[in-house]
Amino acid sequence: MKDIQQKIEKLLLKVQRPARYIGGELGQVVKDKSEVDVRFAFCFPDVYDVGMSHLGMKILYGLKNSRPNWWCERVFMPEKDFAQKMRENDIPLYALESLDPIRDFDFIGFTLQYELSYTNVLEMLDLAGLPVHSRDRKELTPLVVAGGPCVCDPEPMADFFDLFIIGEGEEVNCELMELYERMKPLSPTKEQFLAEAAKIEGIYVPSFYDVSYNDDGTVQKVVPNREGVPERVKKRVISDLDKSFYPESFVVPFTSIVHDRAVVEVLRGCIRGCRFCQAGFIYRPFREKSIGTIEHETKCLCEQTGYEQVSLSSLSTSDHSQIEELLDTLADYTDSERINLSLPSLRIDKFSEELLEKIASVRKSGLTFAPEAGTQKLRDVINKNITEDEIMHTCKMAFEAGYGTVKLYFMLGLPEETDEDVLGIAELAHKVVELYYQTPKEMRASSIQVSVSAATFVPKPFTPFEFEPQATPEEIDRKQKLIIDAIRSKKIRFSYHQQPVSMLEAVLARGDRRICDVIYTAWKKGCILDSWDEHFRPDLWEEAFSECGIDREFYANRRRSYDEVMPWAHLDYLVSREFFVRENKRAHEAVTTRNCAEGCSACGISRQYGGKYCACN
Amino acid sequence: MLMPKNQNLNIERWDYRLTYAKEGRARYISHLDLMRTMQRAIKRARVPIWYTQGFNPHAYLMFPLALPLGTDSKVEILDIALTEDIPFDKVVDMLNSSMPEGLYFVSAARPVMKHTDIASAEYVIRAELDAPADSLLEKWQEFVSQEEITIEKRTKPKKGRKQGGVKLVDIKPHITVVSAQARENALMLTLRLPAGGEFNLNSSVVTDAFFAFAQTEPEQVCTERTKILAANGEEFA
Repeated sequence: MKDIQQKIEKLLLKVQRPARYIGGELGQVVKDKSEVDVRFAFCFPDVYDVGMSHLGMKILYGLKNSRPNWWCERVFMPEKDFAQKMRENDIPLYALESLDPIRDFDFIGFTLQYELSYTNVLEMLDLAGLPVHSRDRKELTPLVVAGGPCVCDPEPMADFFDLFIIGEGEEVNCELMELYERMKPLSPTKEQFLAEAAKIEGIYVPSFYDVSYNDDGTVQKVVPNREGVPERVKKRVISDLDKSFYPESFVVPFTSIVHDRAVVEVLRGCIRGCRFCQAGFIYRPFREKSIGTIEHETKCLCEQTGYEQVSLSSLSTSDHSQIEELLDTLADYTDSERINLSLPSLRIDKFSEELLEKIASVRKSGLTFAPEAGTQKLRDVINKNITEDEIMHTCKMAFEAGYGTVKLYFMLGLPEETDEDVLGIAELAHKVVELYYQTPKEMRASSIQVSVSAATFVPKPFTPFEFEPQATPEEIDRKQKLIIDAIRSKKIRFSYHQQPVSMLEAVLARGDRRICDVIYTAWKKGCILDSWDEHFRPDLWEEAFSECGIDREFYANRRRSYDEVMPWAHLDYLVSREFFVRENKRAHEAVTTRNCAEGCSACGISRQYGGKYCACN
Repeated sequence: MLMPKNQNLNIERWDYRLTYAKEGRARYISHLDLMRTMQRAIKRARVPIWYTQGFNPHAYLMFPLALPLGTDSKVEILDIALTEDIPFDKVVDMLNSSMPEGLYFVSAARPVMKHTDIASAEYVIRAELDAPADSLLEKWQEFVSQEEITIEKRTKPKKGRKQGGVKLVDIKPHITVVSAQARENALMLTLRLPAGGEFNLNSSVVTDAFFAFAQTEPEQVCTERTKILAANGEEFA
């Protein structure tokens, strides 16, 4: 450590925001190496500012460090300036707590939160001084593992990881590390360890499965190539959130990060079933924490961190069955401690006046809504069950309460989308502006700004839209222009996604193992930090695809039949294929499906997993 | 209608001048980040901090002098106000109960001087080389014996322009050398430089100019601010 510390301290003053590379924050866990049996490097494949905001890392960091003889440390992707200095000065990628090189750790664990971070994984392994391909790392350690939402289709990254952790990590991470702790004294080979690990529910070892392809290029089958591994790997679910581990402390960064506040998770899963939304399906079933648990966790975190803001996090916080009571309880505490309570994910239909008042802090920031589509028909197609009346009613309340900025999020290129639906986006924005001017002057804010953002729809695995083609770049281009031409008000600001990024996401999200070579080639050419506009290199990616002989359209723009074997068919996220087919058909008929609280729609998740509204056996 | 959130605030306040240290890993915390860090430390310590009056009440913290990124110090000043009169020792203990590595409070007292009284600061600089520093010491003597030491100073952009200009400034009159010596592979300097609102000279401006003059690239430069001084030469209190 001393060696690396000396080396990096000579460089820190030459790079941007050095506090990100030296650790030492309040709440970091430092242990005595001689008393530690298992060391885990938790890697977030993006820069510190982004990675430090990630809740999953905070949970697993606290959980693993709660065992006296395990030590989990944080690792982030360095910015290009520091990465270059590290390479020039032979500094291997190190963990922030001990400043030890991560190549000496027992586990290197990545969380895959978005597809555009894939090349960063390769860059970080390379910075660590390790071969990026799993097959080239012959020793038992470090074991390179990954979890997170993207591992629901891990195939494009299958060549680089030793194993994947499928589903929620709290239990399975511990089981995996316990197994390692037991086996380590026996000095097993890497294969021997992986064979045992594959017996744990939720562990997927890609090298134990063979993929074969049909003549048309689709997957024929994915089957185990040895005894003792399951044909389908089932995701893990925590059935009782009140009994599950939640950290009482966070690492409090010095430098400002994206979400710089205390965060308390109030529920997991989502009752809504919006058909485009992967999170809405892979995190099922819907489970809540009790008010008592949330209150306790809020107090612990605020006291330990000193944060002046706490945010209630979930996919849809207002869907908590006791939301009003919860906010009353928490407001008593936060008001007395001068802590700002924020609710980032509210649904328009639940946005009552009272709620608005409760969260209206002294600072009136903007309101953000996600109607997702411009017309009722298209909102029915995607099962976003909100009406224009509800949107307008909520905006009216917001304007009367003095809000002056409204953000509206939409998607372009949705299934069944017509030009009329696209123009509906501009129309809705105009109506919102109009509504502001109808609000009495003495009530409304002094000015209005409506920001309209239209992201390009990316079809994702384990959603009813996993069969859908992504709209071609030309089509999206045309639709973006339609909106630009239709916007007449200077109060409306329109922003949209760049085409090559969305198409790359679509390929990576539903890719198979043949994509591994593309990712490797693109990284070799210098593609890293792809999610940052200033670093993204579409030209290099294009070269990589053509050199590997991979047709992007095959993955992004092709309609997949209901009986096609998906590259992720050997993973079981508990929601049935039949349900996705049923939902896809209803989408094309523009028929909505009720939410879980209104009644079970038989998505296939058994009630043993603790879902509040589940009725399936 | 909007009402100020803190209308029933206790207006009575007791002022504290805290002296704190910033060293080791904490030396890489920027000044802006330090404000946030201290605010949170105070909140964690549960000292009864006085909040400003108005629509956006915030904890009152005042840093009279910024410490450059990368510089160590045990003499930094933070002024706060509390709503209760708590003994100095106790305030220091409370605050030190949950501080990040390398950041801690040394003492507390009632403010005596005004912020505008700060005039200069003293720095101990250790420049490490890969060879004995004797010849560099000679270079240093040469450097400070020059008639003028001009540096390029970036000026603030004028209205409507993005980039500022560059101005030549003679820093020679502002450098007071307290001591300079070579110790094995290190050049040790103690300098007194202007600090505070009027005119501020960063020690790295002096060392950068010197190493450019000497055409040497040091292995590492370690700097510690050791004193903050008032115009009359007394330590700021």
